[in-house]
Amino acid sequence: MTRVTIPVGPQHPLLKEPLSLRLIAEGERVVEATMRLGYVHRGIERLAEERSYVQNLHLLERVCGICSHVHTTTYCQGVEALLDLEVPPRGLMLRTLLCELERIHSHLLWLGVLAENIGFSTVFMYAWRDREIVLDIMENLSGGRIAHAVNVIGGVRIDLDSDQIDAIRRSLDELHGQVDDLVNVVEHEQTLKARTQGVGGASLEQIRRHCAVGPVARAAGLDRDLRRDAPYAAYDRLSFEVVTESGGDVWSATRVRVRETVESLSLCQQILDDLPPGEVAVRASRRVPEGQVVARAEAPRGEVIYYIRSDGSDSPARIKIRTPTLPALSMVRERLRDINIADVPAVISGIDLCVACADR
Amino acid sequence: MRELLSVLVTLFIFPGVAFLVACALLFEWIDRRTIARLQARVGPPWFQPLADLVKLLSKESILPRQADRPICTALPVVSLAAVLTAALYIPVGGRVVYGFEGDLIVVLFLLSLPALFYFLAGWVSVGIYSIIGGSRSVLQYFSYEVPFLMALSAPAILTGSWSISDIITQQAESAWIVLAQPVGFLLAIVGLIGKLKRVPFDIPKAKSEVVGGPLTEFSGRKLALWRLVVDIQTVAGIFLLVNMFLGGGDLTLLQGSAPLGLARAVTFSIKALGMLLTLSVTSVLYARLRIDQLANLGWRILAPLGLLQLAATILMGIG
Amino acid sequence: MIEIEAVLEAFRATCPDHSFDASTMLTDETVIEIPAACLKEVVNVLLDTFSVYHLSTITGQDRGADLELLYHFWHGRGITLQVKVPREDARVSTLTGAIPGVDFYEREVGEMLGVTFEAHPGPEHLLLPEDWESGPPLLKEQPDEKGEA
Repeated sequence: MTRVTIPVGPQHPLLKEPLSLRLIAEGERVVEATMRLGYVHRGIERLAEERSYVQNLHLLERVCGICSHVHTTTYCQGVEALLDLEVPPRGLMLRTLLCELERIHSHLLWLGVLAENIGFSTVFMYAWRDREIVLDIMENLSGGRIAHAVNVIGGVRIDLDSDQIDAIRRSLDELHGQVDDLVNVVEHEQTLKARTQGVGGASLEQIRRHCAVGPVARAAGLDRDLRRDAPYAAYDRLSFEVVTESGGDVWSATRVRVRETVESLSLCQQILDDLPPGEVAVRASRRVPEGQVVARAEAPRGEVIYYIRSDGSDSPARIKIRTPTLPALSMVRERLRDINIADVPAVISGIDLCVACADR
Repeated sequence: MRELLSVLVTLFIFPGVAFLVACALLFEWIDRRTIARLQARVGPPWFQPLADLVKLLSKESILPRQADRPICTALPVVSLAAVLTAALYIPVGGRVVYGFEGDLIVVLFLLSLPALFYFLAGWVSVGIYSIIGGSRSVLQYFSYEVPFLMALSAPAILTGSWSISDIITQQAESAWIVLAQPVGFLLAIVGLIGKLKRVPFDIPKAKSEVVGGPLTEFSGRKLALWRLVVDIQTVAGIFLLVNMFLGGGDLTLLQGSAPLGLARAVTFSIKALGMLLTLSVTSVLYARLRIDQLANLGWRILAPLGLLQLAATILMGIG
Repeated sequence: MIEIEAVLEAFRATCPDHSFDASTMLTDETVIEIPAACLKEVVNVLLDTFSVYHLSTITGQDRGADLELLYHFWHGRGITLQVKVPREDARVSTLTGAIPGVDFYEREVGEMLGVTFEAHPGPEHLLLPEDWESGPPLLKEQPDEKGEA
């Protein structure tokens, strides 16, 4: 049978960001896949060395659009450790609130993208309509829908009064009803299951060999979530369940993410119920003493890790960022071998791509 | 002279080209608006399909260098000719234009030609997405066309006539065929969804897999004509199903009477709109199937059901 | 939770010439210095004896006289292996045999700092374009965005 090369990207309806895949197919089966990254590489690690720690807050938020807050959260955690600062509890709780809102936003966005890519545009429309509720909450909190600029070194720059808290609670209740409907669709709708069940299966062994993280790993049975295993921000004060499945296929990943959304809603309610009084930030000096720090956080897509080295000046000597999409991309090259062409959208969407994160 | 004028009016105005195009655009708007409302959106205004058509007609048409230009230009035109001709033989609102014994077979044949031309369009325009989309459309064709033909032959076998107007008349005298052949009716609807390449059977033009399918490289006037072909095929398919299963312009469910032409037209319109809404709602409810899942569905479920329906019809006729 | 002392003992057993000492880095990260020659054996010990298979990433940085590679592992707690290679002869063995997922990380360090990972199956550029001429961007003597070194 003749082999044809199907280009997926850099521009393709399937991809929201440029990524180049070359699928070599025989008939309707893909036999080989090659990948090229770097289309959105902006050299952020190098740029960060030439900016002050405060300017880097602005820069690092723009590594990714969907998980912008968790990037600055991890960065601030690292710098606050170097400065030996303790963020007040109220500040930590507000930081965590936005982390969880961002997780809900990211999962709803991803659900819509997956649905659209398998031809289920109704779920796409519903998920993105519900996402608007979260975006409105974040806009009321911080002034921005996607780039919130809430973190400062030493805490957060926003505060909530009781009116805002009530408004957020009402919106979250409304969202809860909608998300329950989406959970129902994911668990029971036959055509969605037909397109995602048994597709793109990854064994726990594959997950381990590629060091994959996040919902993709949890869908294959890896019981790891940094919010529970290495608590940061206010997670040691909050209770939630880590959602795992065992199938490893796209349907399992979908179930994991949708149920994580429900858990995040519960976390947001807990935070709003228990918001301690007090300050939201402490003052931080511009110069950071010499030292090195490794900071980790659980982004919507998995573990994000920052290594920061300071040389005593007001500008970092080295910032290294590794985002969760990178190991997922490494794994997807393997997953794309020997599958049906029609399963390619489900497999690629199933790993929740964020190419801007991977390329930095 | 008068006859010539009458023929020209019939062919080009009513129920000819102008009426069909107007119906096609109206149906497209109702479809898009219904789907939008069901998806919690607003949907386009009434003139959107016309605006899209006019816009596409005025755009530049670019083809790849290796594509066969004359064939690419001819294919949409020939497809359009096929569906328009098929529609002419389908009675509208009880008004028969050019009926004859066996016109059902001609209509079914003409309505299946666009699928062939669609595949050819993909083949001849040479891009990788076009070729894959084209081969998928042929696979899909075999999965839905056989059940569709079986479902539409059953009424003919039941009534003993292969003329659509005869079938309508017989339904007016006894009962709508849908009551005698509900399975056939459902098969016909599923087959129509496959023919029109609507979700869940829009596999050849799956945007996230093959970008635009066989029509990826088409633009401008050619693409406008292709879209018109799909719209008119929708109209023709719906009219055909209304005539074959729902009694055409007939009012009552069981015993027929002979209402005035206007009443017939209104009844026909209501039935046609009902069918259109059914198609729109099914578009909203499902994800797209994979081609092997469709082939499974077609050969393991639909075709056997069609055979059962035919067998039952023949046995009923003998008994 | 693995015991750092046990890990150090196992390392010393594999590579007797080196005295493996642990230090800590913020936040709660254990750092163990590894000679470049022993890297592969040490990682195999981590994988086989202690089931530490999650490598978060490899940080590469220019420390003036040497280039430093930090292998950030995680197993309930963070363990970082610190490897120094001389600037003139920046080479270390690849880990893709033991951990296939390390492929991307090694390619990135390779293109950003000019480190060669011996026996890497496909050391092309990961993020930089194929026709990148200006040398490894993260080496300190590279001119910054204003064009000054």
